[in-house]
Amino acid sequence: MTVPILAVREVVRTFGGLRAVDGASLDVERGSITALIGPNGAGKSTLFNVVSGFLPAERGSVQFEERRIDRAASYRIAQRGLVRTFQVPRALTRLSVLDNVLLAAPNHSGERLSGLLLRPARARARERSARGRAEELLALVRLEEHTHDYAGVLSGGQRKLLDFARVLMAEPRLVLLDEPMAGVNPTLGRQLLEHVLQLRAAEGMTFLFVEHDLDVVMEASDRVIVMNEGRVIASGTPAEVRTDSRVVDAYLGAAWST
Amino acid sequence: MSTIASFGFWSFVGIVSGIYTLFALGVQVQFGFAGLLNFGQVAFMGIGAYTMAILVVKEDLNMWVAACCGVALAMFAGVLLGLPTLRLRADYFAITTIAFSEILRYIATNEDRLTGGSQGTINLAGIGRTAQYDGEWQSFLGKMERGLHIGGDAAMLIVVWAVALLAVTAVWLLMKTPWGRVLKSIREDEDAVASLGKNVFAYKLQALVVGAALGAIAGLFYAWQFSFFSPDDFAPLLTFFAWMIVILGGLGRAWTVPVGAIVFGVIFAGTRFFDFPPFSLLDSTERAYVRLIVIGVVIIGLMLFRPQGIFGNRKEMVLE
Repeated sequence: MTVPILAVREVVRTFGGLRAVDGASLDVERGSITALIGPNGAGKSTLFNVVSGFLPAERGSVQFEERRIDRAASYRIAQRGLVRTFQVPRALTRLSVLDNVLLAAPNHSGERLSGLLLRPARARARERSARGRAEELLALVRLEEHTHDYAGVLSGGQRKLLDFARVLMAEPRLVLLDEPMAGVNPTLGRQLLEHVLQLRAAEGMTFLFVEHDLDVVMEASDRVIVMNEGRVIASGTPAEVRTDSRVVDAYLGAAWST
Repeated sequence: MSTIASFGFWSFVGIVSGIYTLFALGVQVQFGFAGLLNFGQVAFMGIGAYTMAILVVKEDLNMWVAACCGVALAMFAGVLLGLPTLRLRADYFAITTIAFSEILRYIATNEDRLTGGSQGTINLAGIGRTAQYDGEWQSFLGKMERGLHIGGDAAMLIVVWAVALLAVTAVWLLMKTPWGRVLKSIREDEDAVASLGKNVFAYKLQALVVGAALGAIAGLFYAWQFSFFSPDDFAPLLTFFAWMIVILGGLGRAWTVPVGAIVFGVIFAGTRFFDFPPFSLLDSTERAYVRLIVIGVVIIGLMLFRPQGIFGNRKEMVLE
């Protein structure tokens, strides 16, 4: 078995008396599309927050590409190539849609005062290339008409798409998507899914996503990890997971097992 | 000729507005762009002014070098203030900054030997010896007056506004760069910015320090304009004047600051000299208070009818 791109070991995170994540362990294979499912309150979002550095783990470890990241600041984790989206999309409302995407450009010398003042030509060139890429991504998520609008005028579904474009702009190797399909119209959702598959094939990008639409999960993912009450209770291929009795009991219900 | 029609009066209003432009521009960078609630901006003004005056009087330093030291020390103070406090939530940060400016003012009041104490810079050289720090500034203005054949007030007006407009232009250009984009994004949602690999803390610190430098430059001009100052000149009220200017003009834009500063300057300095009815019914002390009432009414009216400020963008106010 190859070394997983993400290895979570025995992570614990509590809020007061609530053990939101209670010793969760999981592996994400490089180049896979892995779904993380489970009932509400299973700890999926908390685990996302721990992995992406927004919440410190109280116990356990998280390794990304064989390096510990459980003590690293969130922005450092993103710089290393693990980038996440949020369940409620975080559009920067008083910036243009284009600026929202441009913000994610990695290694941008124009974002440093020293880079701006000492090597302005280099900063401008980087901005031009970033702009080209941002426009491509906006076309991909069908937001090109809104390029120069404030992001605040976008609908909830459009903000999800903006988040998706932004996360790709950051050139990640592992993308954590928190309910990417919620509020997105199904046709566009399908196109996004195709794009995810294509990115995986072309650039070897890895995706870990939380999703409640089980049709999407079963169709799109090649691995499924099931959480319940802060622990991982099962993982495997979609076919294996849907027949696992623990999963059926905890989450899927009888209708899914047949 | 009444005061209201004299050049001397309007040039004074103009000079004060120019100084306020620099001062409030710092708040615009910190709050209007980066979202930092700095209620201690006046501290940086005081550090700039006091550092310059003390180095000139006590160390006999060249005034221009001393002025640069004043700006540098204010920037360093910005780092010292920011390092422990910028991780605090916005409201806690605001409280700390106001405490910071008050602590410095109390130190300036009580450290007589360093600052001249509550009597102000006149005591800098010791009791009974009148201290002066602006000899070089006066001779610089004198040269300008002779060279351009203009009066002293006009020379000061030109210098202050040249520097102020230069600073406004610099901030305006800076905010159009990718660096400015990160600042504005932090104002909107710092978690989103961190999730995209940007060191939010470092950017906040830079915004604080840039604002501190602008505050210190305003402090230098303040010191040169009035030839004397004391710790009470740097009371928290001055910080709130900067906030009024930024709100009057409009948040998140560089060019709204000089507009807000001029409107503020005219109301604030202007009303003191309004000697026609209905103002003439009041005596001069009462009139001095009327201007604060007028500014309050203007701001309330603005919040009701034009919450985005004079030149702010209404569309931005309604976005969520």
